[in-house]
Amino acid sequence: MNLKKLIVPALSVSLLIPTAGNVQAAEKPTVNTPASQLRADLDYLLSEHFVLAVTAMTKSYDGAKDAEAANKALDQNALDMTPAIASVYGEEGAAEFERIFREHNNYTDDLVNAAKEKDENARADAEKEVAEFVEEFSTFLSTATEGKLPKEAATEAVKVHEAQVLEVFDNYVEGDYKEANETFREGYKHMYVISDALSGAITTQMPEKFENTKSDTPAADLRSALNSLAAEHFALAATGMQKGFDQKKDYDFVSWAEDAHTSDFKAAIASIYGEEGAAQFEKVWQGNHINAQSEIVAATLEGDEAKAKEAKAKLDQFAMDFGAFLGAATAENLPAADAEKAIKAHEDLVRQTFDQYVAGDYDASYASFREGYKYMFGVGQALGGAIVTQMPDKFAGSEMPSDMPKTGFGGASESTSASAIALTGLGSLLAMSALFLFRRKSTNQ
Amino acid sequence: MKKIIFLSISSLLCFVLAAYNYGIFPSQASSLQEKSKGERIESNLENATQTPDTTKSPLAKEFTLLKSEVKKLTEAQAKESAEMRGIVPVRIEIPAINVKAPIEQVGILENGQMGVPEDTNSVGWFEPGAKPGGRGSSVLAGHVDSKTGPAIFFDLKKLKQGDEIIITDKNGAALTFVVNKQKSYQRNSAPINEIFQTTSGQNLNLITCSGVFDRTEGTHEERLVVFAELKKENLEKPVTPPEAPENVEVNGSFVTWHAVRKDNIVGYRIYRSEQKDGKFEQVGSISAHERKNFTDENAESYYYYVTSIDTLGKESKPSSIAKVK
Repeated sequence: MNLKKLIVPALSVSLLIPTAGNVQAAEKPTVNTPASQLRADLDYLLSEHFVLAVTAMTKSYDGAKDAEAANKALDQNALDMTPAIASVYGEEGAAEFERIFREHNNYTDDLVNAAKEKDENARADAEKEVAEFVEEFSTFLSTATEGKLPKEAATEAVKVHEAQVLEVFDNYVEGDYKEANETFREGYKHMYVISDALSGAITTQMPEKFENTKSDTPAADLRSALNSLAAEHFALAATGMQKGFDQKKDYDFVSWAEDAHTSDFKAAIASIYGEEGAAQFEKVWQGNHINAQSEIVAATLEGDEAKAKEAKAKLDQFAMDFGAFLGAATAENLPAADAEKAIKAHEDLVRQTFDQYVAGDYDASYASFREGYKYMFGVGQALGGAIVTQMPDKFAGSEMPSDMPKTGFGGASESTSASAIALTGLGSLLAMSALFLFRRKSTNQ
Repeated sequence: MKKIIFLSISSLLCFVLAAYNYGIFPSQASSLQEKSKGERIESNLENATQTPDTTKSPLAKEFTLLKSEVKKLTEAQAKESAEMRGIVPVRIEIPAINVKAPIEQVGILENGQMGVPEDTNSVGWFEPGAKPGGRGSSVLAGHVDSKTGPAIFFDLKKLKQGDEIIITDKNGAALTFVVNKQKSYQRNSAPINEIFQTTSGQNLNLITCSGVFDRTEGTHEERLVVFAELKKENLEKPVTPPEAPENVEVNGSFVTWHAVRKDNIVGYRIYRSEQKDGKFEQVGSISAHERKNFTDENAESYYYYVTSIDTLGKESKPSSIAKVK
């Protein structure tokens, strides 16, 4: 799909520009740049929009008790985008963004109602509204970025997103939960393609505002890839536990998505630490973690407090084991103790979201969901930062000039410039192919 | 309406139940009887929740059933046992005398008589009594004639031993009864207790009028009763084991599979072996409401298959065998 479409041009542009000769002057690669931060912020807000849109629509369709809270959370997500946009495009631009974006969340209502009443006319009307939104929003994006995000690319990206949300919903309504969850995973990943393209456009448009840093460095890519994996885990864990507690028909399919996600995460770890490390990761991740979360659900359903206590102890064990794994893997660039603390905080948020859901306190549960979801975007920064510090060579090539070097004075020599380009080009090629392999693994699976 | 009243008065006379004279079905007693019948049904339901399969058996120790699951099972079992207790008839067919007719429900009239169908071409089922197929004798009554000519059960007297009577419910479930004998009774001396009994057998009794029409009483002098029994092969239902789980996979420490989407599945058993064609041993049980995975730290060393188990404890065939890829 378009995933490739959007990544490949970005890569080929990078490959065409050779790195500068003065390698020793290049700073060490880092995930902590203003451009990388912008991309992470957009990763967070856009992917959360997708997750909450799907949740709100399916819960509304079911007439679930938490449907209202889910819709409120979706709107709150839109409101949270406004300050982010304002910081780049000012209050006026942000207000316009908010108007267009919040309104489009209303179409989800229309689509849900059309499905409930099996009203084809209402459905056609809603689809028309969505198409108008795609047009209006992509015009806004390309105008705001002064064409750095071309209107055509924006239209395509937004259109794909809307189609994916609809496809997840339609499959859910039809009871094709496998397809619904497959599309959910695709649609979720697509949001990171949008944030990549958008952050790239904004940082190119305003290089000084972002201290001339780039949002598509290998380090920024790693941070974004880890953000995606971590936050998807949280979303699937929270959703799966609710589905299990409600004994919904799609519970097993969310479990299936969770297992598919585990395998993606494993592949990403393998691309950095090799197959053996990845196999180790998988076992730690599954046993006292995914399985323990599901045991909490079963124990809650069975009213078995001893079993619940045991499962909670397993989660603590997981925090220790996974913390130790990350500490060892990153050669303590991410200290095991810090990792353990962070994982424990994550597990607490998962449990809090679930407990509040069980108690019927849905507003609180969605507040916890949003907090827990946002929390995962620290993973990309902390873990990604540790990995990049540990393996600077693997993530080098982040410093690129905006212009070609002036490698000659026009005297005559073709060979000088050719060899300079060949040398610098080779370095760039090596770095980029490493990145390309990693990217393909982590995003394209 | 006038027509209905007229018809029912005239046909009513045909079906004077001697019960009135004998005091078997006075209206007070009948409501009492209905009540006790209701209690009996309830107690049957309670029994259903306590069937060994759901609480005390080894199966119940192995798999945990949620209250909602128990409720669902209870309802399913109640339905099943209701079917064993009989069907609610909506249609009768008697090929031997070319009868095909809808069935109405009739009760007990205020005067204690069994009610009769409004239409002389339909048949009335005595609804407070046994259901066809249920325990006891289910009673159907039909008119022998109307004011103008023969009615639905005009040829009932021609039925002989071995003739079949097919009763169908609204879902199309059909039970076949076989005629045993027929007998005529003086209208005041019919053995009501025997004809309407609800304690033994799975019988079907058809009633119509016979004998001379007594104009002073406004009814025929006799009642013809055809006695039939449930044809036995109806009861033999083959019990098939559940389907085996599919998509069994081993990844890391997880053995996963896709659920068997039937309400009567209580859980899954996981078996493993060191060799593909070796002896497989059960290593775990997962209840239906749990996540469909089994965690085994040493999963890479084994081959696995999974089976599904239903409420009767029936186990499916093994799934296909899976190993870490």
